[in-house]
Amino acid sequence: NTHISQEEVDTQMTLDDAQQLWAKHEDNTRNLALMLTEHLRLILHPTQATRMRGDFRTGKRLNIKRIIPYIASSYKRDKIWMRRSVPTKRSYQVMLAIDDSKSMAENSSHELAFETLALIAKSMSMLEVGELSVVGFGDQVNVAHDFSTPFTTDAGSRILQQFTFSQSRTNVQRLLTESIEHFRAARLKAAGSASDLWQLQLIISDGICEDHPAIRQLIRQAHEERIMVVFIVVDPAALSSNAANGAKQSILDLQTAEFAKDASGEMQLKMTKYLDTFPFRYYLIVRDVQDLPGVLAGALRQWFAETVDASG
Amino acid sequence: MAATTDARPERTAQVRIHLTTRSDDIQLPETGPILVPTELRRYQLSTLVNRLLETTQPVPLEFLINGQFLRTSLDEFLTQNGISAETTVNVEYVRALIPPLHVASY
Ligand SMILES: [Mg+2]
Repeated sequence: NTHISQEEVDTQMTLDDAQQLWAKHEDNTRNLALMLTEHLRLILHPTQATRMRGDFRTGKRLNIKRIIPYIASSYKRDKIWMRRSVPTKRSYQVMLAIDDSKSMAENSSHELAFETLALIAKSMSMLEVGELSVVGFGDQVNVAHDFSTPFTTDAGSRILQQFTFSQSRTNVQRLLTESIEHFRAARLKAAGSASDLWQLQLIISDGICEDHPAIRQLIRQAHEERIMVVFIVVDPAALSSNAANGAKQSILDLQTAEFAKDASGEMQLKMTKYLDTFPFRYYLIVRDVQDLPGVLAGALRQWFAETVDASG
Repeated sequence: MAATTDARPERTAQVRIHLTTRSDDIQLPETGPILVPTELRRYQLSTLVNRLLETTQPVPLEFLINGQFLRTSLDEFLTQNGISAETTVNVEYVRALIPPLHVASY
C-alpha cells in the first residue's frame, strides 16, 4: 500500500505517487502562496527607510555610545559619527520541521501538514530571499532537504517520500537540540556577514509533546543564538468534527491530568488545559490551510518588529 | 511494584485517553481526550473519572482497553499489547463489582 490515505501511513510512497501528491498540494495552495509571498515580501525585505548608524570619522549625528571611549582614549578613538545607511540585503535560512510521528496520522493532520509545507516552500522560493531546509522529526530527526539544495518541484516530491507518519515518539527536545546544531553549521557556511543572516524555524505538528519545561529551556537557547522558533499547530479536528465517537479531538479541548503531592504529602489530582503549559512563545493554531498566510504573516511581523528593536 | 516514575527518556511518559462507558448513570459529560501519565493505574484512573463525574460518594471503577481489564500501569499495558502511546487510546470504565484488594496502591 503506497497511497496516502486517512488511514495509517507507514510505507514509503513511490516517487510517482509523491510527485502526484506534491502537484496536488501545489495546486491547492497556488493562490494562497501568492498571497503569502506578498505578505512575506513586505515583512522580510529590509525597510527602505534609511537609518542613522555606524562609527565614522565624519557624519551627521554623534554616536553617544562612542563619546566616553573617545575621551578615555585621549581623543584617539574618533569614529564617533553616524551616517545614513543604505539597508543591507538580509538573507534568511528557514527550516521547516515536520512532525513525522504516528499521532499525525490520527486526525489526518499529516494532510494539513503537507499542504502547509507546499504553501510555505512555494512562497519562500518565490521570494528568493534565502535558503530553505526541511526536516522530519519523531523519535529521530531526519534532514529531508538541506539548506544548500535549491528547492524545486522535484525537491518537493522527494521530501514527501521521506515521511511515513509512523514514528513511535514525538521527541521535540531532540528536534530542538539537533536543529540548533544545524543552524550553527548553516550560519558558518552562509555567505556574507553573519549579522545579516536571519534564522527561522517553523515547526509543523499536532502539538502533542511532553516535558514542556525542558523544551522551554531549549527555546531560550535557540533565541540566544538568534534563531526564531514558530510552532504551527495543525488542528484539522477543530473543523471536521467527524472524529471517532463524536469526541472533541481539538488541541483546544485537550486536558492534562497529573497526580502530584500536595503540602500535606497527599497525592492530589490536578487537571489543566494542555495549552496552558505549552512551551512555545510563538504558536499558531491552523485548522485550515486557508488561514495560514494571514496568521503566519502576523506572527512573523511580530517577530521582526521585536528583533529589529532588540538589535537597535 | 517496579518504580515506573524513574526518568526513562527513551520512553513516552504520556498518552491521550478517551474515556467511555456503557452505563448511562455514570456517563461523563462530553469531554475530549485527556493526556495522562502512562504510570497511572486503575486507582488513579478511578479518581480521575470520579472527579470528572463530580461524585460526592466515589464510585469504584474498573477499566478496560480493547476489552481487557487494566491490571497494571497504562505503560505496562500498552507495552504488553503493542499499543502506541502516539494514538488516542479508548478506555472503557465499568463499576467495580468486587471491591479491589489494594485500594491505595500508588
Ligand atoms: Mg506525536
